[in-house]
Amino acid sequence: MRWVIGVLGVGLLGWGVVELVPVVFDSPLSLGGWLLGGPVLHDALLAPLVAVGGVVVSRVLPPRWRAPVGAGLVVSGVLVVLSIPYLWRTFSGPVTPGLHDRPYLAGLLIALAVVWTTVVITGLVRRENTPATP
Amino acid sequence: MRIPEEADFASPTHGPRVSARIGLWLGIAFGLCFITGLISHGIQHPAAWFTWPSRPVSLYRITQGVHVTSGVAAIPLLLAKLWSVYPKLFGRPLVKSVPHALERGSILVLIGASFFELLTGVFNVAQNYPWAFFFPTAHYAVAWIAVGALLVHIAVKLPVIREALTRSEEEPRPTTGALSRRGFLLTTGVATGAAVLATVGGTVPWLRNVSVFASRSATGVPVNRRAEAAQVSTVDESWRLTVGDVEFSLAELRAMPQTTADLPIACVEGWSASATWTGVPVKDLLERAGVPAGSDVRVESLEQGGLYRSSTLPGTHTADPLTLLALRMNGEVLTLDHGYPCRVIAPSRPGVLQTKWVSRLEVR
Repeated sequence: MRWVIGVLGVGLLGWGVVELVPVVFDSPLSLGGWLLGGPVLHDALLAPLVAVGGVVVSRVLPPRWRAPVGAGLVVSGVLVVLSIPYLWRTFSGPVTPGLHDRPYLAGLLIALAVVWTTVVITGLVRRENTPATP
Repeated sequence: MRIPEEADFASPTHGPRVSARIGLWLGIAFGLCFITGLISHGIQHPAAWFTWPSRPVSLYRITQGVHVTSGVAAIPLLLAKLWSVYPKLFGRPLVKSVPHALERGSILVLIGASFFELLTGVFNVAQNYPWAFFFPTAHYAVAWIAVGALLVHIAVKLPVIREALTRSEEEPRPTTGALSRRGFLLTTGVATGAAVLATVGGTVPWLRNVSVFASRSATGVPVNRRAEAAQVSTVDESWRLTVGDVEFSLAELRAMPQTTADLPIACVEGWSASATWTGVPVKDLLERAGVPAGSDVRVESLEQGGLYRSSTLPGTHTADPLTLLALRMNGEVLTLDHGYPCRVIAPSRPGVLQTKWVSRLEVR
């Protein structure tokens, strides 16, 4: 079973590499940057930030606030990541009627406000003797 | 300060039990995304054996909505998955053996390809292109690499996954960070839900006002390519639609029996919008031109350049009475931006193939 899955995987991977060859010759730097950018940014920047954030939250905040604030930070981070393609438009196509014409910054701020209101309410309604996390 | 070691990460949010669960969800998201992506690719670049049904009319709207939504959902899942195994990055020695080196290498390929697919995908949905390559080719090729590397990873880890998912008891580990194991899984679920809710309104009408990062705005049928960008201007009385060897004036098209139908425009970029279209069934036009029913038809636009100035309607679609050469949208004559004098609107098709400013239907 493992071997079947593994061999199939190697086959699909190889097919993808073949399909990618024209792109490699066409724009190697841009492609390479996007392929390596994710792992590098994640391992060297994002994950250490999360680790430091987790340590700070668990040392600074009283137990009943740790989980809600930790979760709030995670959800906020995901929302910020999703907003980037809409807020940083240097390389974007033109805005056309009905597309990409929403107030995205206001939308992000509203979404974050909803998240942090939820965090505050959750923190307040948790009993004082709740363990550090649910 | 020193570089951390694997053992420094004491939080219960790391380890196989978390990793296998989130991995399972992520695997489902990747699977859905891959299959719906292949469908969309198949419709746009059909192999000889490929056919795509014209009914239900919303089929492509659903498959492409699933494609973009499962991709968005995979972003928080991927980040959570990587967090659960992050300590492994600091495992030493860096390489223990040849198989170990191959495994680490395959994981780098998997992570690189996964980030590539998800990030280029969400940028493309926003019509934002901070790269030099042609998105469809690269996104398609790297999808095979990501799924291939994922299968290799599953094959390598199968015993670990099986044990982590079936073993019911484990030493409880104290919470050392902000979140417990359960709290982390719950947070991952909430973050995934938030990501979906923030974007899915582009295709789910009743969430349109909730989704702050939906690509389309709250009202109206979006225009993806404006007449100005396509360098098309309004036509005069001399305009004729050519179908095979027969020509039709706009007045003749308007005089033919009209069909009115509610059909969605479903963009490859994941948004969709329903409208009420009125026009002449392509089937009737082909009949008038003496073309056998169910022929493949090449649709040519007045647009001179552009990647999508023509499309091919397969026989399944030309035989469907709801495949229209639309003259009106929501009761009004088509505006120039929406394809005046006429455009194709066919059920269950990518929007990019619903050719606007049609000048010719050529039988293949």
